[in-house]
Amino acid sequence: METIKNYLEAMFANLPNTAEVKKAKAELLNMMEDKYNELISEGQSENSAVGTVISEFGNLDELAEDLGLTKEVEETREREAKVSRRFLRNEEVLDYLNDKRNSGMMIGIGVMLCIISVCFPILGSLVFHEGAEIYSVAGMFICIGVAIALFVFNGIRLSEWSFLEKEPCQVDMQTAQQVREKRKTFKTTYALMIALGVMLCAMCWLPIAVMQTEIYVSSIFVMVGIGVFLFIYSNSVMDSYDTILKLNDSETISGNYGKENEMEYINKPAQAMMEVYWPTIVCLYLIISFITFEWGITWIIWPIAGILNKILRIALTKEA
Amino acid sequence: MVEISSDVIRGYNDTMILSILLKEPSYGYEISKQIKTITDEKYIIKETTLYSAFTRMEKNGFIESFVAEQDPEGNSKKRTYYRITDKGREYYESKCEEWELTKDVVEKFIQLR
Repeated sequence: METIKNYLEAMFANLPNTAEVKKAKAELLNMMEDKYNELISEGQSENSAVGTVISEFGNLDELAEDLGLTKEVEETREREAKVSRRFLRNEEVLDYLNDKRNSGMMIGIGVMLCIISVCFPILGSLVFHEGAEIYSVAGMFICIGVAIALFVFNGIRLSEWSFLEKEPCQVDMQTAQQVREKRKTFKTTYALMIALGVMLCAMCWLPIAVMQTEIYVSSIFVMVGIGVFLFIYSNSVMDSYDTILKLNDSETISGNYGKENEMEYINKPAQAMMEVYWPTIVCLYLIISFITFEWGITWIIWPIAGILNKILRIALTKEA
Repeated sequence: MVEISSDVIRGYNDTMILSILLKEPSYGYEISKQIKTITDEKYIIKETTLYSAFTRMEKNGFIESFVAEQDPEGNSKKRTYYRITDKGREYYESKCEEWELTKDVVEKFIQLR
């Protein structure tokens, strides 16, 4: 049955994305499914059933005429002829995702190194006796040097994929679904990484406030550095999935492959609650802060609200 | 083996479908199966032909569609059913007369050796 579905999807891939076409596709699938099931129940093998169904399907030109789509089909053909869509094979897509993940990791490390490099002069001036400054400055420049090397290397490596933004490209339905599954699986990790990143950035002053030693100034940079790394890495992975899923022409049926309704809440109350979430938090923060006048503590509402928001969004959104 | 040319049969797909719908409302696959059985498997209608006939005849007001949650055997599957309208009946009658005439005319030239 998968073969039949894929066959139908491929036939419809370049037709316009309208209600009429979607209905036609659904009806045809229904008929093919009925026929397939009957052939199977008559004892035919899966292969021969699929063969019969596909050979008795007919062709879409006839259908296009009766659906009043002749013009659209012609237009799509002309557009195809002018700028041919580059078809990405499954392995290519997987390569791209892999490259993007690795480069996200490396660029993240690069940025982290830049931020952390500041620690060397700080530590140098505090820990080492005079004359050791040269080492701390050297440490800083080594960090920055490595970071620049990482940026350049990844810039070159990713330029191989720049055609994805310049040329129109297309992926098949199976690949799109595969990417969508990956995206779904990654969503939780993504939320955790972002939440952890926010937490690290928001709490970066904590060590120095607790220890009251100047040496902990450097911990600010370490924590912010790790936080920023988490943002860059997780966004780079997420972005690679979205890039692939947006490749297909959204005006055609193929534009629906792997589409996920962004931010669809499970029900109306959930949606209403999420819409007033941030204004409510602002009010809470101001009210509590003015009543207690403990501004030094109340800021903690922000990271908590941020994490809570992420959790609620995951819990209350519908899986498409 | 001789096969029916789709050019010839095209004008009569509607007639076949309407004749089946005269008895009772039906849905896509059921109709194509009946066409196959009635013609002793000499004619198998293509899915695209069938669906385009549905859309065309619905536009012309010969048939109406409705969605049923269950088929006659009680299996729950959402299907689009079609039923014939009065206009469709009239059209069917006129197509039958047209065919009688066509048959008479063409037959005069048929000599099987």
